[in-house]
Amino acid sequence: MEKINRRDFLKFIGAGGIGAGAGLLYGESTRKTVELLIPQVVTPEDYSPGIATWYNTVCRLCSAGCGISVRTREGRAKKIEGNPNHPVNQGRLCALGQAGLNALYNPDRIRTPLRRTGDRGNFAPIDWDEALTLLGRRLGNLKIKKQGSSVYLLAGGLRGHIDTLFYTFMQALGSDHYLHYEFTHPAALYAANRMIFNQDILPYYDISNASYVLSFGADYLGTWLSPVHYSLAYGHLRQGRTDQRGKCVQIEPRMSLTGASADEWIACRPGSEGLLAMAMVHVIVNDGLYRGPDRNAWLEATGPYTPEAVAAQADVAADVITRLAHEFIRRQPGLAIGGGSAASNTNATASLAAINVLNYLAGNLNTPGGVIFNPDPVSPASPVARQASYARLQEWIEAMAGGGVDVLITHAVNPVFTLPPAAGFTEALAKVAMVVSLSSFMDETTALADLILPSHTYLESWGDDMPEPGVGFPVATLSQPVVKPLYDTRDAGDIILSLAHQIGGELPVVLPWTRIEDYLKDSWKHIYGQRRITADSGGNFDEFWNAALAAGVWGENITREPLRFDGVAEDRIRALQVPPPAFAGEEKDHPFVLLPYLTQAFHDGRGANLPWLQELPDPLTSIVYGAWVEINPATAKRFGIREGDIVEVQTPSGSLRAPAFLYPAIRPDVIAMPIGQGHSQYGRYARGRGANPLEILSPLVDEASGALAWSATRAGIRKTGERAPLIKTDGVTRTLGRQILDDKPAHT
Amino acid sequence: MSISVRDALLTFKTPALIGLVGVTGFIAGYLIDMTIFTDTAPKQPIDFSHRIHVSDNGIPCLHCHNYADTTPAAGVPSVSKCMGCHKTIATDRPEVMKLAGYWENQEPIPWIKVHDVPDFVYFTHKRHVLAGLECQVCHGPVETMDRIARVSTLKMPWCVECHTERKVEHGRDCWTCHK
Amino acid sequence: MGKLTDKLKQYLKPGYYDKFDYHWTMTIDLDRCTGCEACVVACQAENNLPIVGEKRFRERREIKWLRVERYWEGEYPDVKLRFIPMLCQHCDQAPCETPCPVAATYHNQDGLNTQIYNRCIGTRTCAVYCPYEVRYFNWFSYTWDEPLEQQLNPDVTVREKGVMEKCTFCIQRIRQAKDRAKDDGRRRVRDGEVTPACVQSCPAEAMVFGDLNDPESRVAKLAKNARGYKVLEELNTAPSIVYLKKVNPDG
Repeated sequence: MEKINRRDFLKFIGAGGIGAGAGLLYGESTRKTVELLIPQVVTPEDYSPGIATWYNTVCRLCSAGCGISVRTREGRAKKIEGNPNHPVNQGRLCALGQAGLNALYNPDRIRTPLRRTGDRGNFAPIDWDEALTLLGRRLGNLKIKKQGSSVYLLAGGLRGHIDTLFYTFMQALGSDHYLHYEFTHPAALYAANRMIFNQDILPYYDISNASYVLSFGADYLGTWLSPVHYSLAYGHLRQGRTDQRGKCVQIEPRMSLTGASADEWIACRPGSEGLLAMAMVHVIVNDGLYRGPDRNAWLEATGPYTPEAVAAQADVAADVITRLAHEFIRRQPGLAIGGGSAASNTNATASLAAINVLNYLAGNLNTPGGVIFNPDPVSPASPVARQASYARLQEWIEAMAGGGVDVLITHAVNPVFTLPPAAGFTEALAKVAMVVSLSSFMDETTALADLILPSHTYLESWGDDMPEPGVGFPVATLSQPVVKPLYDTRDAGDIILSLAHQIGGELPVVLPWTRIEDYLKDSWKHIYGQRRITADSGGNFDEFWNAALAAGVWGENITREPLRFDGVAEDRIRALQVPPPAFAGEEKDHPFVLLPYLTQAFHDGRGANLPWLQELPDPLTSIVYGAWVEINPATAKRFGIREGDIVEVQTPSGSLRAPAFLYPAIRPDVIAMPIGQGHSQYGRYARGRGANPLEILSPLVDEASGALAWSATRAGIRKTGERAPLIKTDGVTRTLGRQILDDKPAHT
Repeated sequence: MSISVRDALLTFKTPALIGLVGVTGFIAGYLIDMTIFTDTAPKQPIDFSHRIHVSDNGIPCLHCHNYADTTPAAGVPSVSKCMGCHKTIATDRPEVMKLAGYWENQEPIPWIKVHDVPDFVYFTHKRHVLAGLECQVCHGPVETMDRIARVSTLKMPWCVECHTERKVEHGRDCWTCHK
Repeated sequence: MGKLTDKLKQYLKPGYYDKFDYHWTMTIDLDRCTGCEACVVACQAENNLPIVGEKRFRERREIKWLRVERYWEGEYPDVKLRFIPMLCQHCDQAPCETPCPVAATYHNQDGLNTQIYNRCIGTRTCAVYCPYEVRYFNWFSYTWDEPLEQQLNPDVTVREKGVMEKCTFCIQRIRQAKDRAKDDGRRRVRDGEVTPACVQSCPAEAMVFGDLNDPESRVAKLAKNARGYKVLEELNTAPSIVYLKKVNPDG
């Protein structure tokens, strides 16, 4: 070994030293920070660390009322699953329901009561006592002066005993002004069911056992009434039986999610669904496929609705109409249902009534696979009387605009977003002396409030639900908090009870409870008293209550006498007619019909503040984080519109701009837009994104039910020359001979 | 004028050796940091002595760490569990008075975690306890410790060694322990 | 020579195992699937999938372990739309396992294609090799706006920048089911005891999950269905997911 010279020796020492130092520093810098092991102060009773505790409750993100089981770890909610005990969803859950944790842990929740300072939209925190005193005094004064009727309470789709609580409260105040308003409320369907079936509540559509489902635009797999239950039923209809596979036909102007799964998709003109149904009734009766005693009355009523006449109006070939009518009658049990554009034109009730008649003629009422009338809900009665149509709400808007409303309280409803501006709600709101919102989120309506008393989200609340549509037998679901409340919010029921005590007089007498849990428990004594199967099986009320809480649901699938149906009254038959749809706007200036549609993720816009849903590619277009206008590709070509071109959609009531999407399954004379985006408030994930088609709707109404005809607005489109390329996850949406959908490559 | 490859490479001999020494120094420095400069027995907010409780007073491990055989997390007893005895026992000792202070303020004691595995590791106490492993196998002679110390590295080679020796079913599959 | 070829033949077996202990398999019935994407959100919730944000979607850097693909056929008005949920197929001859330079992804004894996050060095080779494009890379360390992080599942790692991730068939649930089975005294996991989040949520019951090695399991029976096929079968990846093709109606 040669000698090392001094310089090199020093270099070695230096290198070694710097290396060691670097190593030490590296070790220190990558060392995990000290972790603490924090014990509980008091040993928890309701969980063991590392093991999940499950709570059963109700999902409130749409009106179906699915039961859910929430997995919690160490007091935090981790995952929502369907409750296997619940007959509506039987352990399954939809995309919106799964995203419910985004609502509970949303960064933009209202965390304390707020009071308006200065102009509308500016708020300052206020504590509960002050807030409740403020409102309580005002309500108390109104009651004393016998002006309780100037208090209005607008709620969104409440059922069960919380609804009863609200109702009792308002009655004790001396006010009849308590309504529910939901954009998705099927007012026309209720009216049609009353007209033809004499039923006040929704029936059970037994898709599971059907052989044929003839749907006029009802998006039963996506958004119509109870999509999880119908999806379960659909799965069974397809592959749940060894002896048959049910057939699904969808007739609508734009292919919905359900339309994509149908065996046959038929494009009809918007608003012509009822005419088609009448033509089918005509064929059925004419061709001798129905031989009931009232045959002649039906013949007379549907005389003018020949397939040839209707074919021209609906743009569906006459032979297709005839074939479908024959198929429907022959493949029984079958179901005819209507929704979407069929339920949102000016002839909505009449159209849905005609569709109901198809069921009647097929003889599928109260039979498996058909339309089964539901028994009355177990307790309390269904709040159908309080579910307002658009027209009924108009009366309120007039009262508000006239200055006749002193206090308007809103709960779980956002009419500033879901009502078209043409309704005048926002302007009328400004004339209300005090607007109070119980919302958990700063949505458009809440932003205009004077006082915000934020309620718990549904995962922190007590309550119950009797699902509608029912499942054919009495069912009651319990809702309980799955976590301790996150913020200084309160259960909506507790807010009402506190107010009752604040106001005094007869209110605390009628509502003596101080906790919503106690009120609920006492209310369930009715249900306990109405039991039939389990009434003799022992168990006192407390055991019943605890068992119901643990299971999340109580029901009795008892065989009852089938509800009788004595046929459609003769005068109703003769009066049945489906007028052609009326539209706002002239074809000349507005060559298209604008079809807003509900998506399975956002519904009426309520899901837009949930980030998982903004990130969820739309099932039919794969678009995320935005809204779009769907145009038929041939139409787009004619106009020279490419995907991503911003178009201006003009209706007689307004205009908006959104990027265009070339949608392969929409009529050339129709454009469609998803509902749900276009929020101006509602948190960081929702606001300032996309456009809201409801904003440019003209206020046409289906007279028979008062429902807003939201598919009755004509529109024109204009290229703006700007582009905003859509954010999609799709690439090429054709299989191009690749073996993806089949064991043999398909030709596309 | 041409030189051989060997000669060409040899011109870099000294810088290469310097680099080698540097790298060796780096590794040595890191290892020193991991061993000598790592505190395996940090000072705790209360000087809790396992020796007094276990050896002198005969309290079994699972009495306080009661979740160890029923849940994946062994856990540390709640303040109320400590107070169960110490409401009356040894109340004059300064450390017990500290405990009483925490209880009065309804505050949890911020113990420093001595036995910690990274977040991407799934370790279940229950499975190991029910497999018949004595606590001391991994935690060492805790009953003799006045201050709890980590005696095992808790690093992956240490876990895998035992899994291999005891022929744990699928014990060497990554997904058994990595989440 | 014979012994040598025998030794070499073992490398042809999936994952080098003689047989799988459990052979986790899924069937997806395309005649039931409605494209509702409940499975996608369920997976997001269960597996701590990040909220990547609009910008990353624009850059095609989304992370969705399970996606619903759509394919149009025909032209208006005779147009059809078909859905197919696409997720890691857990191929028994996975093209992604071989090229990983650090063996961060390999086939385990239960027939699963594993992904070990802290072994991964982020070369992204595996994603290139995957023909189903179901592997996703963490280009960033994503954050959750407070308090969304309270929802994170403690049984699943939260991934950092630089690692690949993909569907794991909810290994955390499989692990838990095996744990429970051991509690009950060393028995096997029974059919129906473990369901991944997507399977559990599907409203149409289109997805079925179970052990193919158990002849009595639902999935073993469905895998033999006449409508069964595997996607891109000609590539010989031997996927563990059997799709049941949609029935074309009589018309």
